[in-house]
Amino acid sequence: MADNEKDGCVACKKKSRWREDFPVEWESDNYITRREMVKFLALGSLTIAGANFVLAGLPHLAKAAQLPRTRIGLASSLPVGGSKLFAYPTEEDPCILVRQANGDLVAYSQVCTHLSCAVVHNEEENALFCPCHHGYFTVAEGRPYAGPPTRPLPRIKLEQQGNEIFAIGVEVG
Amino acid sequence: MSTRQTQGTTLFTALLALIGIGVVVQLWLLAATVDAVLRHESGTPLHAAIGSGVVFAINAVLVLAVFNFDRRINS
Repeated sequence: MADNEKDGCVACKKKSRWREDFPVEWESDNYITRREMVKFLALGSLTIAGANFVLAGLPHLAKAAQLPRTRIGLASSLPVGGSKLFAYPTEEDPCILVRQANGDLVAYSQVCTHLSCAVVHNEEENALFCPCHHGYFTVAEGRPYAGPPTRPLPRIKLEQQGNEIFAIGVEVG
Repeated sequence: MSTRQTQGTTLFTALLALIGIGVVVQLWLLAATVDAVLRHESGTPLHAAIGSGVVFAINAVLVLAVFNFDRRINS
């Protein structure tokens, strides 16, 4: 009879062969000391602070990036109360140019600030209208005044050279 | 366990809890920053980033205090 059995060591007798080959104790392997926890939290704190600074700097970097100068069309081709669609700053950014009753030209992003449907010019109500959820924006300032949108439409900065109109930048909020 | 060691354990746990609270505050500030950036606000992200930096500085001081204390106890 083996010594282990004499001592009543049943656990020793039942110990699998693979445990002898791979003597890894999971309990001690997964144990995290408080020192490790402190180091982990300090590194986490540094990472979060870094991410916060990067996020805070993003809008300033975006502002610094130069937007292209894009020709929209001829000013004389747009009658009072008329509108024209164009894309700015890329082909995937639809915009709308409107000539107001006083003759001034204004342009906005056509993407509704509620759920990104395309706004259209409603001449009768002198408004930019989103047909998806009946949102209304003023033509003069692009401010929402009815319906679910709460943020104004991004305004496209315009420049007129002679009879030609150019888009030169975007003003958000 | 000696009295000094018991005190050390208590202090270590307390500082660990304080650092943990700091990290939670930083996570809240990060969430506020993301929210403000998506709303195209310019003021809030900068203030939140400065706040997060201050909390990190406090956390760093606390961590250094913990390890200094640890070294003193061990020596």
